[in-house]
Amino acid sequence: MSIQIHTPASLPSNDNVPDNDYAFSIELAGTPWFTSKGAMIAYYGTVQFEPLSRTSLTGLVASQFSSPLYANDWVIAQGHGKLILGDRGFNINSYDLDDANLTIRASNLLAFEPGLALKQSIVPGFVTLLGTGKFLASSNGQVMFAEPPLRIDPQALVGWADCPSPSHHFDAGWMHNFLSAAAGFFGMASGEERQFDFTGAGTVLIQSSEKVIDDAHLLRHIESETQPLSQASLQQLHRSIGARLTQDGY
Amino acid sequence: MAQLRMQGHRVLVADLTGDTVRAITGSMVAYEGKVAFKSAGMGGGDGFKAALKRKVTGESISLMEMSGTGTVYLAVDAQDITIVELTNDVMNVEASQLLALAGDLRTDVKFSGLRGATSGQGLFTTTVSGTGHVALLSAGGPLIALEVTPQYPLVADPDAFVAFRGALNQSFVTDVTWRSALGGGNGEAFSLRFDGQGVVYIQPEER
Repeated sequence: MSIQIHTPASLPSNDNVPDNDYAFSIELAGTPWFTSKGAMIAYYGTVQFEPLSRTSLTGLVASQFSSPLYANDWVIAQGHGKLILGDRGFNINSYDLDDANLTIRASNLLAFEPGLALKQSIVPGFVTLLGTGKFLASSNGQVMFAEPPLRIDPQALVGWADCPSPSHHFDAGWMHNFLSAAAGFFGMASGEERQFDFTGAGTVLIQSSEKVIDDAHLLRHIESETQPLSQASLQQLHRSIGARLTQDGY
Repeated sequence: MAQLRMQGHRVLVADLTGDTVRAITGSMVAYEGKVAFKSAGMGGGDGFKAALKRKVTGESISLMEMSGTGTVYLAVDAQDITIVELTNDVMNVEASQLLALAGDLRTDVKFSGLRGATSGQGLFTTTVSGTGHVALLSAGGPLIALEVTPQYPLVADPDAFVAFRGALNQSFVTDVTWRSALGGGNGEAFSLRFDGQGVVYIQPEER
């Protein structure tokens, strides 16, 4: 009934806090870590957090963090001590990459070692890590590993490694209805008609829930994708969004 | 003395033998036996002075008194629960994370220093003192107990802080580097620093 009281020495080095899948302890010993803002819940020791725009490690950031879109969500933690991370009660796991690549939902990535380079994925809301090192990812429920070929619910997707980026797959019955209905068909949504289709050799990481943390990353990605659109396209987009908002009763 | 025990890690069981246990209002999920529930009053059952302080400070705590003979099951939002034993000790608790009190314990409101005006948690914390059992709630996973010694002070996110006990000095650090590490805009502009000798309890989820 009494709980274990941790000291800086008893906290693990780069592992989950004992008996706690929802908190992780990073040991800082000179080498910096990239950590996502807001993931830190406590620390022992002398630790400094620097925004990517105001860090002394400009060269490191420029070479390893290739995503202006997400730069404001990250800091560099450096110093000596133990850092405890938590993410809204999501499960936290660490993974090792050895000269490999893995793509992950941006809001599920909590921290990574500078041996890894972060790049924005073509898939909205996702980032790719390349290189060698450790990273921490959160998931709503345990992570399951599966091998392609498979189709999964986009909301359950945490990330994938080695295999090609997924394509969209639409349920055949749903497509049939879509084609036979009038243009602008939006009904008949079961919420399961759209899937991500994985092919090739690799591993897909799936969380055991369809709850996505937030879509702030996705929103920003979509916003940035509107840059190349022409004036006419933007007006068209403006109209269709306006129509949808009216339809939804706002 | 009434006993508190766990059933699993998200349900607290209070065994009443003709005595009283206080718990956060609305936390009862089931009970057996002859148990009477009544609001512990404005001050959380600690008299007019505590009530007045709460009124003035805005530190909100709403406790109910459960008395009689029987078994009461308590739970809040499937949060993890930890029972901590106090022996003539004082504990500072974030009011929303205090589930139940059994034994010879009294609650009070204490001024805990100047916090940033952005915090919705008020400038005051609830103290529990005496001898007995305190049940704490932890959101997002099990409670984490961290020891603080003079050599190893601890810095914690105020949104993850649950409670502390011992001879600790709590200070508010408006550290620029920590501020930069907190989430976009809605994060606290300060961190809590604990110096001295004691134990700090934090939860994995930020409020």
